[in-house]
Amino acid sequence: MRIARRRVAAAFVLLAALAAALLLRLSRTDPLDGSALPVHTADPDNGEVLFHAGSCGSCHEAADGAAGADKGLPAGGAAFSTPVGTFYPGNLTPDSETGIGRWSDVEFLNAVTRGLAPDGTNYFPAFPYPSFRMMSVEDVLDLHAYLVSLPAVRSPNREPDVPMTAFARLGVGLWKRLAFRVPRFEADPSRSESWNRGGYLVNGPGHCGECHTPRNCLLIADEDRYLDGGPHPAGEGSVPSLRRLVERGRYKDVADLTLALRFGETFGYDKLSSGGMSEVQMNLARLPESDVEAIAEYLLSLH
Amino acid sequence: VGQEPEEDPVTRNAKHALATALAAALAVAGASVAASSMDVIKDRQQAMDDIGDAMKKLSAIAKKEAPFDAGVVEQNAGIIADALAKAADLFPEGSDEGDVETWAKPGIWADYADFEKKRETAESKAVALRSVAVEAAFGPALGELGNACKSCHESYRRPKD
Repeated sequence: MRIARRRVAAAFVLLAALAAALLLRLSRTDPLDGSALPVHTADPDNGEVLFHAGSCGSCHEAADGAAGADKGLPAGGAAFSTPVGTFYPGNLTPDSETGIGRWSDVEFLNAVTRGLAPDGTNYFPAFPYPSFRMMSVEDVLDLHAYLVSLPAVRSPNREPDVPMTAFARLGVGLWKRLAFRVPRFEADPSRSESWNRGGYLVNGPGHCGECHTPRNCLLIADEDRYLDGGPHPAGEGSVPSLRRLVERGRYKDVADLTLALRFGETFGYDKLSSGGMSEVQMNLARLPESDVEAIAEYLLSLH
Repeated sequence: VGQEPEEDPVTRNAKHALATALAAALAVAGASVAASSMDVIKDRQQAMDDIGDAMKKLSAIAKKEAPFDAGVVEQNAGIIADALAKAADLFPEGSDEGDVETWAKPGIWADYADFEKKRETAESKAVALRSVAVEAAFGPALGELGNACKSCHESYRRPKD
């Protein structure tokens, strides 16, 4: 009797250990290694374009009063509220202690496209890597080159205010397995070069879908409602659909939407300054005009 | 002994009249609060529409769809400046909801001083734009007004489809 009870207990412990091991295994995202890196001469100017296309500076802005931090530098630390908790996006300046100064190219690539920190833990997807995984490796390396060209700011990283943070990070690993199944944007050779550029910018670095595509109950982008708008992630108001923009009378044509994205409210496009969009618009205004036009061309093709 | 003194009919009537008057006054006050909150939401939405219409005339110049005309600039920047001056009274406490849907965020009343500062900035930019006489100064002045609009809307207006 006692032996039987001990056996049951042992089996139970074994099962629990197996479950834990399985959870750990499943929650681990396989990192890319050095063989993922192409031969490439990094172009920091292209990196700067991507930095603005991705509105990186808008989330990674310096916290008020960060020592010596120019507000324009992505020193991180300013609070970013989401329904899951409050995050303090990291320091993207090349400070060797608190920033990305010691990161290798492959570590940077794993962070941006796989959501993996250099220590192998999962970043929360408030960092929009499900979109960034659609970026080309060359573009990510160019972005890295741009960031390390910035002045270093000392701004220590801060853990997010999320319940059971360490455990939740394991959950993120499982979540990624599902979230990464959403198909990547693929180039369409039957479309113009500009449409393809626009589609890449919208889906990859621009990560428009993170707000404009509603999420399902697992907080994964709902492909069936791609860029079709929904409740605002911060909880106030709604995010407009980016589909049928001409049919819905929002914009006349590509030229009209291009002006809207470049100038926003200054040119009377008053819808473009709520819910975080004014920052996005002002970041897009820093892209080459041809890129903004490409984004407009792609968006107006969505029905 | 021990009996309540009978109220004389005059006192009773007076009390009754007073109570009725009080109830009526309260009802009227309540209704007027509701009505004013509804009207004020409508009024400010009208003011924003007026600004939007004037902005369209100005942006037509910026987009080079219309020629630069100092008179048109003065008139429309004037409409915007006046509407923004009026807006100082159009966001009273309690007007965060009403029968008319409003996109004003409750944050306005959580930090009214900041909201008012942003409104004042926008008004001063519209006043500055009003006196722009040469084309070269128009774009930058319009840009400053646009940024003032963006900054306030981003903080205090809910996004909508």
